[in-house]
Amino acid sequence: MREAVLTWCVPLELLCSHPLPVSAFLKTQVKLYTYRACAGKDEMGKMVSVINTVDTSHEDMIHDAQMDYYGTRLATCSSDRSVKIFDVRNGGQILIADLRGHEGPVWQVAWAHPMYGNILASCSYDRKVIIWREENGTWEKSHEHAGHDSSVNSVCWAPHDYGLILACGSSDGAISLLTYTGEGQWEVKKINNAHTIGCNAVSWAPAVVPGSLIDQPSGQKPNYIKRFASGGCDNLIKLWKEEEDGQWKEEQKLEAHSDWVRDVAWAPSIGLPTSTIASCSQDGRVFIWTCDDASGNTWSPKLLHKFNDVVWHVSWSITANILAVSGGDNKVTLWKESVDGQWVCISDVNKGQGSVSASVTEGQQNEQ
Amino acid sequence: MGKKRTTSGEGRERQRLPARRFRIAAPRADSADGGSFFFPLLGLTDRGFSDCPDLKMSRVTTALGGSVLTGRTMHCHLDAPANAISVCRDAAQVVVAGRSIFKIYAIEEEQFVEKLNLRVGRKPSLNLSCADVVWHQMDENLLATAATNGVVVTWNLGRPSRNKQDQLFTEHKRTVNKVCFHPTEAHVLLSGSQDGFMKCFDLRRKDSVSTFSGEATEAGQGRWASLPVAQRCILRILHSFAHGLMRDAESRANEAQESWGCPDYPLGLCSGPQAGQSESVRDVQFSIRDYFTFASTFENGNVQLWDIRRPDRCERMFTAHNGPVFCCDWHPEDRGWLATGGRDKMVKVWDMTTHRAKEMHCVQTIASVARVKWRPECRHHLATCSMMVDHNIYVWDVRRPFVPAAMFEEHRDVTTGIAWRHPHDPSFLLSGSKDSSLCQHLFRDASQPVERANPEGLCYGLFGDLAFAAKESLVAAESGRKPYTGDRRHPIFFKRKLDPAEPFAGLASSALSVFETEPGGGGMRWFVDTAERYALAGRPLAELCDHNAKVARELGRNQVAQTWTMLRIIYCSPGLVPTANLNHSVGKGGSCGLPLMNSFNLKDMAPGLGSETRLDRSKGDTRSDTVLLDSSATLITNEDNEETEGSDVPADYLLGDVEGEEDELYLLDPEHTHPEEPECVLPQEAFPLRHEIVDTPPGPEHLQDKADSPHVSGSEADVASLAPVDSSFSLLSVSHALYDSRLPPDFFSVLVRDMLHFYAEQGDVQMAVSVLIILGERVRKDIDEQTQEHWYTSYIDLLQRFRLWNVSNEVVKLSTSRAVSCLNQASTTLHVNCSHCKRPMSNRGWVCDRCHRCASMCAVCHHVVKGLFVWCQGCSHGGHLQHIMKWLEGSSHCPAGCGHLCEYS
Repeated sequence: MREAVLTWCVPLELLCSHPLPVSAFLKTQVKLYTYRACAGKDEMGKMVSVINTVDTSHEDMIHDAQMDYYGTRLATCSSDRSVKIFDVRNGGQILIADLRGHEGPVWQVAWAHPMYGNILASCSYDRKVIIWREENGTWEKSHEHAGHDSSVNSVCWAPHDYGLILACGSSDGAISLLTYTGEGQWEVKKINNAHTIGCNAVSWAPAVVPGSLIDQPSGQKPNYIKRFASGGCDNLIKLWKEEEDGQWKEEQKLEAHSDWVRDVAWAPSIGLPTSTIASCSQDGRVFIWTCDDASGNTWSPKLLHKFNDVVWHVSWSITANILAVSGGDNKVTLWKESVDGQWVCISDVNKGQGSVSASVTEGQQNEQ
Repeated sequence: MGKKRTTSGEGRERQRLPARRFRIAAPRADSADGGSFFFPLLGLTDRGFSDCPDLKMSRVTTALGGSVLTGRTMHCHLDAPANAISVCRDAAQVVVAGRSIFKIYAIEEEQFVEKLNLRVGRKPSLNLSCADVVWHQMDENLLATAATNGVVVTWNLGRPSRNKQDQLFTEHKRTVNKVCFHPTEAHVLLSGSQDGFMKCFDLRRKDSVSTFSGEATEAGQGRWASLPVAQRCILRILHSFAHGLMRDAESRANEAQESWGCPDYPLGLCSGPQAGQSESVRDVQFSIRDYFTFASTFENGNVQLWDIRRPDRCERMFTAHNGPVFCCDWHPEDRGWLATGGRDKMVKVWDMTTHRAKEMHCVQTIASVARVKWRPECRHHLATCSMMVDHNIYVWDVRRPFVPAAMFEEHRDVTTGIAWRHPHDPSFLLSGSKDSSLCQHLFRDASQPVERANPEGLCYGLFGDLAFAAKESLVAAESGRKPYTGDRRHPIFFKRKLDPAEPFAGLASSALSVFETEPGGGGMRWFVDTAERYALAGRPLAELCDHNAKVARELGRNQVAQTWTMLRIIYCSPGLVPTANLNHSVGKGGSCGLPLMNSFNLKDMAPGLGSETRLDRSKGDTRSDTVLLDSSATLITNEDNEETEGSDVPADYLLGDVEGEEDELYLLDPEHTHPEEPECVLPQEAFPLRHEIVDTPPGPEHLQDKADSPHVSGSEADVASLAPVDSSFSLLSVSHALYDSRLPPDFFSVLVRDMLHFYAEQGDVQMAVSVLIILGERVRKDIDEQTQEHWYTSYIDLLQRFRLWNVSNEVVKLSTSRAVSCLNQASTTLHVNCSHCKRPMSNRGWVCDRCHRCASMCAVCHHVVKGLFVWCQGCSHGGHLQHIMKWLEGSSHCPAGCGHLCEYS
């Protein structure tokens, strides 16, 4: 007997698709909405409620939103050149910082592991990468990297085990790796011509140690193999590996997309040591790449879905069992691998329609 | 070219004609009104008026021709870097001027064709070194250039000779930055120079008609203006004499300066009498709408508005930019709109109709703005280029000030001149550049950074919440500057409402949402609760399992609860089985065990709970678990009469309700391959087994026997296959069966291993680690070290992310993996300071490097204390806890002999 498959819905879609005047609780234009899906008596039904609304006050399109390690803060970046940090604890949203320093649209932000302090990296169309650091409650620019010749599209921090390393992918086709060497110094390594026309996304592999930790003499740093994936305008996903001499070498070239690769996301490694990468592209397709062998040489793609519009983002849940996909149609869908290895959408709007009216009324009550 | 095609485009154009004509006619009306003031001033004759009808006609014709502009994105190589370009009114020719180039190109459909080189003469003078060029918008033959040596030259293409030079005005003392024809008046030319003066020329006269000084103080400029003309001339001559050398030097300096890419300030040559006082003029532009008005921009950031009839003082002045204002452009349609661009990287749009100039829009570009040109027919669009760093040309929607609407990236060096090909055609842009090329850009081919930009942000939060930022529906095109006031009632998540005709029409903003989810959907609250409530050690295995099962059940995680229960049964129950019945069971043969127990459990449920049980079961309700748990107890007390019902109930259940897995069990069982059999067999087998459970521990030898049975391996495979499909119910029954058939816990290790792998694979590494800790040695050997470690580290990492430090520490402590258990040590640091010199001790040894004394000596035994050190707070002497205690029992004085009366309590 299988457990009942819980239906899951994207709450906002429901709200919008509902004939009731949604604007009743949408007071001003740009807001931060929090929705809670709560399990009631009946597990099959999910309810949706508006918990809080706060203005993000970005003056232009938001390009990225990232939650920090502890899930308590949310950083957003926008075309209006600013990066904003919100405290999103307990359903509230308090603006902590408004970081200005970029001279162009800011494409992406990335939080570093908290063991290094509160550090946020942002990359922008102005060709710069800025590393922000919080000291005594105030956010300051800690480092500015201007080593690219074109828009920097993606930043990603390496797993904390490696130290403070930031990978940046740029439209000039290069990927640069900034390593913190202490005392405010950053060492730059650059992979030139990583992707012709440009690199759109970078994502680090989780830190997995080859061989057992036990073999390592205690006190000595384990010999990590650093790897990351990048996606670019050449429709390719490339996997990079650090050689023993510290140079980065292209390890794999994954070919399946027929248009620009927009995002790649290496799944967090929890559970089995299988590597999984999700990639999405301008061509509307999302692929799940898996690699079962330890050497990491054979990757097999599996088509998750073909969407009708550009797919911009893929994001793994923390336990790597659910993939969120956002597409050009402004929708988010959640996908989960079923027992037979097929990826199924678990956030189909139609499935949850039954609970809509309840959810909206509840939302209004909350509003009152 | 344009004219040739007039006929074809005529029909289409005619419909729009009235509006056009009105637009073009409007300034004429102005001029007719104000003409009486202006013409005498300039000394115009009637001839000026006689031109008018012609001009109006030809203008319209041009407009007709413009509608059929064809072409493609193309470029041609020039011999030298260009400084400025200007388009002929017929939109078919373009003039390119630079330091060493001055040519006219015809714009053909596929290419540029050089038509005329105006740079003639063996030894080109500095007069030909052009900083700016402008083509008269009414007279196709009339051109004006501004030279770097301060000369303003006009050119008449109608001249028969090779040298088309018409007039030469040598009134400016330094580089002339800009020349500008009056939009409707044929003979009026305005120039603005580095020397801080603007001059208005009537092309029928040999010198300027009036001079405007950019100097802020009215007094100085008044003095200059009030001088008699004769004196002015003398002065001018003197000045030109005095600055004759300077001009040369300056143009050279300018050259150097520009090649270095920083032409912002005129170097150190501001030594002239006026230069020190007046600010350099960067741009002058006649208003398109107001006949007498022109705007000028200055290096100090000011913009001035002048009435051409009043050279003594400006109408209005305001500071527009922080730093030099390099350019300005009047809006072709909106009467009062002036766009200015400055070194501060901003383009500002001012409304000049109000009393005080009001900033309406502000566009921030990446580099300083060298040129700005409104895009024809697109009210909010303007094109900009920069004079350094950035080589691209951008088209901005002023309402969307951060992202350019379009971008032309053809040039490899600084773009110096931009011009829309036709005043009513928004799609053709011409540009000249320092890279010695002339380009025609098609708006259609422009790269659109907006389209390249990622409109969505998505992030999975720690608690399974999802932050999602997406583009909002766009605002109506004319909603003005402030996009967020007003209550637009669109729900935020509606699809983009982009008008395909004009993709940049509106503003963009994004909505940011955070979704929260629940178990099953990816929420992580269960994780935190579970982590906090699980018991991992300190109690007997059975209790731990029960506790954890209870926790899981309370959190609604039935499958996990079942797993715990199973584990309890597998590893704890054997003690209950009587030895006597063991033999019996073994004698029966393993094959019977499996189906037997299935029926047995079911039967038990049916009488106990009736139909309710089944309902619960199908719902996956927690109660069914408890029922099963208690099943053994119930069975013991059950009477035989209940047994009789059993034959019906299990059959019913098995055939009607059960899913494939259980059917499979039957099929695999050799005895039940005949469907008619079960009814007879089940009750028989079920009965004796009840008594088996009662009270005897299993003998190990029997367990061994059983493990080798071939049947067992078959059922083992079945069970393993069951585990991953959430079929906890049937699994449990099977476990009973297996157990009752005297299976050793060892036998289950494969199953448990698979189960752990299954949980880990599902992302529930918590379960894997918890089981690993609780079962300890029972399962450890079956799972390879690396996997275990991986689970441990993953789980610890997760716990730390959720700030569950205590749980994380407990896990680290309880872990059996050495690498994991040393994690805590690795992150713990002890700092030891020397008790004598108070400085940090070196890493090894107990002797301080600096004072060469042993730290923390015991006052009693005079050895180094390496463990607990107790000391007297009065005299600070101390030592080993035991020693001090013993000492103080016998004496109340300090053992160090300091005489202090120490106390130990």
